Amino acid sequence: MSDLAEVQEWMAALLRHDRALPLDATVRVEASQHIAGNDRLTPAEQLEIYREQFWLRHTASLVEDFPGLSGILGQEDWERLVEGYLGEVAPTSWSLRDLGDRLPAYVERCDWLEHHELAVDMARLEWRYIEIFDAKDASRLAPARVAAILPEAWRNARMRFAPAVALLDVRYPVVELRRKLRMASNNPVPIPERQPAHLVLHRGSDRNLHYTEVTAVEAALLRLLHQGEPLLAACEAVAERFPDDAAVIQTSVGRWFHEWARREWIVDVESS
Amino acid sequence: MGEEYSPPMHSPRLGQPDLGVGIGLRVPHYPAIFRRRPKVDFFEVISENFMVGGGKPRHHLDRVLENYPIVLHGVSMGIGGPSPPSREYLNELKDLVRYTKTAWVTDHLCFSGARGVHLHDLLPMPFTEEAVRVVVERARAIQDHLEVRFALENTSSYLTFATSTMAEWDFVSEIVERADIGILFDVNNVYVNAYNHGFDPLEFVRAVPHERIVQVHVAGHTNLGKYIVDTHRGPVIEPVWDLYRETIELAGPVSTIVEWDDEIPPLDVVLAEAERARGIRDDALGVRESSVRGIPEERRVPLLARETLPDDDRPWIQGGPRDAAFDEISTRSE
Repeated sequence: MSDLAEVQEWMAALLRHDRALPLDATVRVEASQHIAGNDRLTPAEQLEIYREQFWLRHTASLVEDFPGLSGILGQEDWERLVEGYLGEVAPTSWSLRDLGDRLPAYVERCDWLEHHELAVDMARLEWRYIEIFDAKDASRLAPARVAAILPEAWRNARMRFAPAVALLDVRYPVVELRRKLRMASNNPVPIPERQPAHLVLHRGSDRNLHYTEVTAVEAALLRLLHQGEPLLAACEAVAERFPDDAAVIQTSVGRWFHEWARREWIVDVESS
Repeated sequence: MGEEYSPPMHSPRLGQPDLGVGIGLRVPHYPAIFRRRPKVDFFEVISENFMVGGGKPRHHLDRVLENYPIVLHGVSMGIGGPSPPSREYLNELKDLVRYTKTAWVTDHLCFSGARGVHLHDLLPMPFTEEAVRVVVERARAIQDHLEVRFALENTSSYLTFATSTMAEWDFVSEIVERADIGILFDVNNVYVNAYNHGFDPLEFVRAVPHERIVQVHVAGHTNLGKYIVDTHRGPVIEPVWDLYRETIELAGPVSTIVEWDDEIPPLDVVLAEAERARGIRDDALGVRESSVRGIPEERRVPLLARETLPDDDRPWIQGGPRDAAFDEISTRSE
């Protein structure tokens, strides 16, 4: 390894320490070998400026992106969560936007959290919001395109969804809770009761983020279609899972499709 | 009186256009910019904020591009690190270069991480021949890849390496000459580093190859006594304006951006700083045209007295790649 790379790797590793560097005798010795220092700050103190910046910048970024989660946890648990996350999950993307991409999975492992299920739901919601906020734009599905598909081709048609659409099943009313937490300032917001729901998160033509609650049957169908299942196979799979609703599926799928296209969730149909 | 001075004979700004005086594009100013279309010569945008698929960021960028030229300024390239910038990053940047028709692209002379970890910071480089070689090779390749003029910014720092074998200004000069790239000359960073590391900022300003300065940054900072932090917060202080004036006298008319990234004030406050820059620039160009000038003693740039500030001043968070990436989310049920 070159001298340049060696000193850079040494410095970069130190900046993720969770303890002040001047307190570490080994760091003080190493720093004095690599860093000049001056009459005001020792080498370790100069390094410490960068270490503090790492933690401040990244914790501030996570607060900005996960206001609902931080609101649920409160200061102490939030700090413990974030310190653990940043210590275990190194940031690898050049964009701070991606800093929280593994936070929902990390929250799921943190069963010490007081409102664990609620926190998991909120983390998943807020990461989905980040993903669809700046996802690629897509053009509306043209009626002429739909009309051109032969009736027999619909059986194996695959739906292409807009990149700015995400499906999320939640156990708590996290969308509403998040809104209340963001508006609450320092006023306490009560923890809600369980209220399972199937949500479609989407970016509207106004470029704002919206959510729509759908039934379990519709959600199951949307999920299979979003995964690339052909239309008939997806309908049959959902009917098997919800046998009491088989007739509903058959009579509703056309109406649902038109609604999904109107909302610009579906932006193309690939038919053979 | 100082020595006689004659401007360099090279093509100024490496032939790049003088776009005038502009400001950094920041989210809090969007409503005023779109409503009023204020007089701004150009905007500087943080590249990474717009290296996204779509949504509000790209929509706002399109609205700005309708009425103003923009230049791209990156914060995440980390050109001097153990690994070169990724091909994926450079390809996305190139897409944005083509889309925005930016006259040039800038980023920082720094490293940003190691072993696949990105620290989202502008970490200082040792001023060594090895570091020069590494950066030169990459800078040449990046400029070729982007197919647009590339320039590196002199970065503020809070430490220097014991292994450095040259002054920072020689390090910067060597790199830009050998790589044949431009300089984004940040005079606030010169001031910050002069304070933090104990050198005469005028020596830095005079030493760099002025014909390679394609753009200048001016900004505020936060003086914590033992060191200055490059917060881009607050107005530009007089000694930094003096360095700016000196730079324009030496380099000629150069595109200038006022940066204000933290505790961002209303648009009119930042525009007033831009007008201040314009006045100083015009004044300095008048002096330059005479082609002979001295440096009166009273205009030498003093470093402020190092006073101890209250303990409740905390280290800062640099306004940087997040400020425009994440707009307010509006949600409602349907």
